[in-house]
Amino acid sequence: MKNKLNRRDFCQQTLFSSIALALPGTTQALGKFARAPMKPKEGPQIVDTFVHLFEWPFRKLKYSGTEPLVQKLKKHQIREAWAGNFEALFHKDIDGTNRRLMEECRRYDPDFLKPIGSVNPTWPDWEEDLRRCHEEYHMAGIRVHPDYQMIDLASTEFRSLVEKAAERNMFVQIAGDLEDPRHHHPLVNTRNHSFEPIVDVARAVPQARIQLVHWNRKVRADLLSRLVELPNIVFDSSRIEGAGELGALMNGESWYGPRESIPADRFLFGSHAPFFAVESALLKLFEHYMTVGQLEQVMYKNANGFYNV
Amino acid sequence: MNEHKFEFDPKQYGLPDLEQIKEYRVWDSHYHGYLTSGDPISYNDKMLKYVHRMGIERVISVDIGGTLPRPLEPKPYDDEKRKFLEENTDYFSGIIPIDPGFPEESVQKMVDWIENGPCIGIKYVGGNQLGITCDHPNNDMIIEKAIELDAVVYIHTWIKTGGEPRHIGGANLSGESLPWHVTKLAERFPDKILICGHAGGDWELGIRAIRSSENVFMEFAGADPQSGGVDMAVNELGADRIVWGGHGPSRSFATELAKVLEADLTDEERMKIFGRNYRKLAKPIFDKKGIKIKV
Repeated sequence: MKNKLNRRDFCQQTLFSSIALALPGTTQALGKFARAPMKPKEGPQIVDTFVHLFEWPFRKLKYSGTEPLVQKLKKHQIREAWAGNFEALFHKDIDGTNRRLMEECRRYDPDFLKPIGSVNPTWPDWEEDLRRCHEEYHMAGIRVHPDYQMIDLASTEFRSLVEKAAERNMFVQIAGDLEDPRHHHPLVNTRNHSFEPIVDVARAVPQARIQLVHWNRKVRADLLSRLVELPNIVFDSSRIEGAGELGALMNGESWYGPRESIPADRFLFGSHAPFFAVESALLKLFEHYMTVGQLEQVMYKNANGFYNV
Repeated sequence: MNEHKFEFDPKQYGLPDLEQIKEYRVWDSHYHGYLTSGDPISYNDKMLKYVHRMGIERVISVDIGGTLPRPLEPKPYDDEKRKFLEENTDYFSGIIPIDPGFPEESVQKMVDWIENGPCIGIKYVGGNQLGITCDHPNNDMIIEKAIELDAVVYIHTWIKTGGEPRHIGGANLSGESLPWHVTKLAERFPDKILICGHAGGDWELGIRAIRSSENVFMEFAGADPQSGGVDMAVNELGADRIVWGGHGPSRSFATELAKVLEADLTDEERMKIFGRNYRKLAKPIFDKKGIKIKV
C-alpha cells in the first residue's frame, strides 16, 4: 500500500507553507500551531487474514452470504480478506470445498477475496488436494482445523503436509477452534488436539510459513513464549482476549501471556467474520495504545509480507 | 501506556470514537478488575486505565468481599476495597458475591456490605460448595432481603455442553445456575427484577429460556463476540430488558462493545443497553445511599 498524505495533513502543511512563504517572519509563530496536539491520522486499510465463506451448519449467520460479508468488511476499511470455507470442516470431498471456494472468490472479487483452501493429511490422496490448491486454484496457503478435521499435530502426516506446503512455498494456517467448545451442539464432539507439537514442526521445517489463527484457547503463556522464539510462526488477532491484550502482548503488559514483549511483526489482523462481529477485532486496535508503526504492521504490513514471499 | 491517545480515528473504521462512546453512557455491570488471584488492588489499578481509555462511565465491581469460590470468607483486601468504593462513588460501584448454600451468612453479608456499606447489590457466582442453584428454596430469604434493600440481583448463568450422553448444561459446575433456574426463582418474586448473567453463555438458548419471564433481564458478557446475538436478544426480549457488562480483564472491552455496536439498533436502543436500563434498575438503591445518578 502506498503511504498517502491525508486531506487534513495536506491542507495543514500546504496552508502553513504558503503563508510562511508569503509572509516572512511568520514561520516561528506558525510553528506553534503546527506543533499543537494532532487529531488522529488517517489510517491504512486492513488485510483480514481470517474469514470464512459459505454456511456455518449450526446457525444462519448474519453476514453469511459472500455479498453481505464483503460489503460489511469493506465498510470497515478492510481491503483484502483471506477466506476459508466452513464446509471444509465437515465435508469428506474436501477438493469440492476448495474448488467452490476458489470459484466464489474469483466470481466475486479476486482482488478482495483470497481463497485459502484446506487439506486433511489423514485422508486419502491429500497430496493431490494440496497440488490442486496450488497448481489449479492458485492458492497462496491452506488452512487446517485439527480439532474438526481430527489432525494430530504430532503425526507424521501433519509434518509431511507442512513440508510439502513449504516445498510449494504455500503457507499453513492452523486454526485453534472456531466456536467455544462449551457451546457446541451436543452432537458435536471435536477433538482437543494440543498445539505443543507445532514447536517441533516449525523447528524441523524452518522454511515453512505458519500462522496460528483463532489460537488462544490452545496456547498458554509458556507455549506462546516457545512459539514466539520460532521466526517462522505468526499469529492472528481474532481471539486475542483480555482488556487491551493485543497491545499489551506487544508491550510486555499482558494479563495472561508471557511477561516479555512480543514484537508487533508477529501479529496479523484477523476478524473471524462472519462468525464474530468484525467490530471486535477492530476495537482491539484501539483498546491499548499502539504506535503508528505497530498498528500498520498488524493492519496490513505483516500480512503483505507473509502472503507475498 | 499512553492512556488517552488514539493514533488513528476509529470513525474511519466504522467505529465510534471516544466521545461517541461517552455519549452512550456505558455502565459496566460486570467488572472483574479486582481479580481474586494475586494482588487485586494492583490489578484494579491496571484495569481502570482501560476503563478510562475506552470511555466507560461507571463500573460495578463484582468481586467485593471474600473471593468468588469462597464469597463469605473475609479477605485482607476487603477493607481496602470498601474504602475505594466509598471514595469513588462517582464512577465505581460494587455488588457482593453471596453463596446460597449459606443463606443466613449471605444475608449477614448483605447487611454488612449493602445495608451498612457502600454496595448496591448481590451476585450469584458460577458454582458453589454445596451445589445450590438459584432456584433452591434457600434463595428466598436472600431475595427477600434484596427486595427490602432495593439491591440489584445478578445471577451468573451458563449452559455448558457435556456429560454422558452429551447434553446442554451437562458440563455445568456444581451449583452453577442455568437460565431456567433464574426463571423459576423469578416466578416466586414477580415484582423483583433479576439479571440473568452471561445470557447463559449459549445465547441462542439463553434468550429463549428467559423470554417469557418479564422480570428477568439479560446480561451477555463473558462469551465470544458472536455475530447476531444482540439482534436476537432485542427481537425476543426487547431493548428494555438487556444490560451490558464488560467482564474485563478476562474479556476485552472490544469484545463486549462490539456485540452491541454490530447489532442493527437505534442509538436510543444502544443507550438503553449500554447503561440506561441498569441505571433505572439501580436508581432506588443509589437514591437510598444519597448518590445522585442521572438515568
